[in-house]
Amino acid sequence: LSEETESGVVKIAAGAVVCVESDIRGDVTIGARTVVHPKARIIAEAGPIVIGEGNLIEEQALIINSYPENILPDAEDVEPKTMSIGINNVFEVGCVSQALKIGDNNVIESKAEVGRNVILSSGCIVGACCQVNTCEVIQENTVIYGSECLRRVQTERPQPQTLQLDFLMKILPNYHHLKKTVKGNSTPARS
Amino acid sequence: MATLLQPEKVLYLVRGEKKIRVPLSQLYFCRYCSELRSLECVSHEVDSHFCPSCLENMPSAEAKLKKNRCANCFDCPCCMHTLSTRATNIPAPLPDDPTKTTMKKAYYLACGFCRWTSRDVGMADKSVASGGWQEPENPHTQRINKLIEYYQQLAQREKLERDRKKLARRRPFMPQAFSVNIHTTEKYGLGTRLQRQRSGAPISALYGLSLKEGEDQKEITIESAQALDEVEPLPEDYYTRPVNLPEVTTLRQRLLQPDFQPAGASQLHPRHKHLLMKRSLRCRKCEHNLSKPEFNPTSIKFKIQLVAVSYIPEVRIMSIPNLRHLKESQVLLTLTNPVENITHVSLYTCEEGDPDDINSTAKVLVPSKELVLAGKDAAAEYDELAEPQGFQDDPDVVAFRKSNKIGFFIKVIPQREEGDVTVAFKLRHDFRNLAAPIRPTEEGEATSEAIWLTHHVELSLGPLAT
Repeated sequence: LSEETESGVVKIAAGAVVCVESDIRGDVTIGARTVVHPKARIIAEAGPIVIGEGNLIEEQALIINSYPENILPDAEDVEPKTMSIGINNVFEVGCVSQALKIGDNNVIESKAEVGRNVILSSGCIVGACCQVNTCEVIQENTVIYGSECLRRVQTERPQPQTLQLDFLMKILPNYHHLKKTVKGNSTPARS
Repeated sequence: MATLLQPEKVLYLVRGEKKIRVPLSQLYFCRYCSELRSLECVSHEVDSHFCPSCLENMPSAEAKLKKNRCANCFDCPCCMHTLSTRATNIPAPLPDDPTKTTMKKAYYLACGFCRWTSRDVGMADKSVASGGWQEPENPHTQRINKLIEYYQQLAQREKLERDRKKLARRRPFMPQAFSVNIHTTEKYGLGTRLQRQRSGAPISALYGLSLKEGEDQKEITIESAQALDEVEPLPEDYYTRPVNLPEVTTLRQRLLQPDFQPAGASQLHPRHKHLLMKRSLRCRKCEHNLSKPEFNPTSIKFKIQLVAVSYIPEVRIMSIPNLRHLKESQVLLTLTNPVENITHVSLYTCEEGDPDDINSTAKVLVPSKELVLAGKDAAAEYDELAEPQGFQDDPDVVAFRKSNKIGFFIKVIPQREEGDVTVAFKLRHDFRNLAAPIRPTEEGEATSEAIWLTHHVELSLGPLAT
C-alpha cells in the first residue's frame, strides 16, 4: 500500500513551466504560470502538495511534505495532510519549506527554513538564512530579517514577480526540456 | 595554519604611557625613536571625511557644516543598512490635458535587507531621483542654537580673562602656541588630550565654540527654562492597552535619532548616512608620522606606513603538544624576518622579579644560541632552484628553515595545575636604522649602524591537557 501511494501522479497545469531536471515525487499538483527551475525538489511524502498559480520555485529549493519527526512512516493512524501553497509565492534558491499552509504573495528568501507548524498568511517575507520553526500563524505582511530573526510589519505586500515570471517562461524552454503538462487549451509544452 | 587567524596568542609589550600587550599586527614602529608604538601612545589626526557608500570625499569644514553626514545617502531607520532608491511608474495627469494620463516615474527609498520603504512612514514618493528627500526638522533647533551662541560668548569671555592674567606673569616674547599652559582646559572643552593645539589643525570637536577674532561682542541674553507645575496626565488606558509589538521601536532604533526618539515605528524617518574618516597617526615623542593614508577614499594604500610587522621579527606559534603540570614539553615556534638584511635574534628568559613578567604561568627554556635569519628576498618565491643557505643549524634548536623563516623549539614547564599556560621571554634583535642620516664613507658603501632592540613577548599556549 505504502509503496504505491508514494509515487503519485504529478499534475502540471497547462501554462506552467517545469524543467525536467527538477525532482518532483509524490502526489503534486502545480498550477498554471508557475515556474519550477531545474534542481528544485518538491517531495510529497506524507501527503499531497497543491501548488497554486504564478509561483516561482528556484534552484535547490526544497518543498517537502514529510512525516513529523516522531512518527514512523508505517504507523496506521497518520492521516495524509495536504500541503497547500497559494499564488504568487517566491521560493528563492536553497530554501526549505515544510509549512503546511502558505498563502499568497509570500517570499521565502535564499537558504531560509520554514518549519512544519508555521502557517504563512499573505505577504510575508522570510529573510535569507532565517529559520522559522515556531508553531504559529505569521501575521500578514510580516518581514522576518536578520541573524536574530527580528520581525517587523510592512504596510504593503511584496509585489508579484510578473516580469520575472514572464521572462523565465520565455527563456527557460530555450535551454531546458520541460515536463509534460496535462492537456489544456494552449499548445502543450515540449517534453 | 590556524595561527594566522589567532594573532592574540602572541603579544608584544609596548612601553608607552601605559604598558599594553598587543599582537604585533596591531602595532606601529617609530623608526626615529626605535620603539614600538601602539594605538594608545600615538596621536590620531583626522585626514579626510568620506561617505562609505558613495565614496565621496568631503573637506573637513564642509563635513562639520553637514554634521558629518553625507548629502546623498540614507540609512534605513530599521536595520541601519544603506537605502537604495527605487522607481515605479505611476499614472499622472498630463499638465496640458488633465483628462489624459501618462506614466511618470516616482521614486521611493527602500532597504534591501529588511524591506523597509519610505512609504511605510508616510513619506510621499518624490519625482526626482536624488535630492528630494528631507530629514524632519528638530523642533528645538532654535532654542539650542541660541543657547550655543550664549555659551560661546561666555566661554570666550572667560578665556580672555584667564589669558590676561597669565600674560602678566609670562615673559612677553614667548609665543603662545608653544606654551605649556595651553594644555589646561578651555571651559566647555573636552579635556587636555583632545586639545593639543598644533598650528593649523585643532582637533577639539568644540573648536567652533571660540568666536572669530574681531567679531563684535553683542550681548546675547537667554530666557531661563520655565518649570511647569502642571504636566499632561497619562491616557486612561496606559496600563491596560495591549502592546502592539511590531509598532514599538527598539532602543537602538530610537537612540539613533536622538532628536525625536520615536516610540512608534511609523515615525522612524531615515537619516543621512554618517561619514567615516581616514586618520593619520603621529608619534607623540618625535612628532613623526607613523601612518598616513592616501587621500582618495577608493584607495587603501598608504603614503607612510610604519607598521611593526615590517620591521620587527614576528614570533608565531606553530604547534603545541599536550602540556602537563610540571612536565617539560617542546613547543614549536616560527620566527619570520621582515627586513631584507640578515637579522640575528637571541632569546632570553625573564629574570626573577621582572616587572613586565606578570602573566606567565609556566617556566620556559629558550635556545641559548643566537638564531640567524636570512633576509627577505622578494624574488625568492619565484626561484624554484633556491640555493641552500649556508647556515649551520643545531637540529635540537632549529626544526626547519625556509627563506626568511625558521622554526625553533622552546621547552615549557607549566607551573600551575589549572588554567591557561602563558609564557614570556625577551626577544633581542639587531635593527638597521635606514632613517638615520648616512655618513658618506670613503669606500662609497653606505653602512648603517645596527642597534639592538629588546622586546618582551608573551605567548598564550592554551589550557593544560586533561
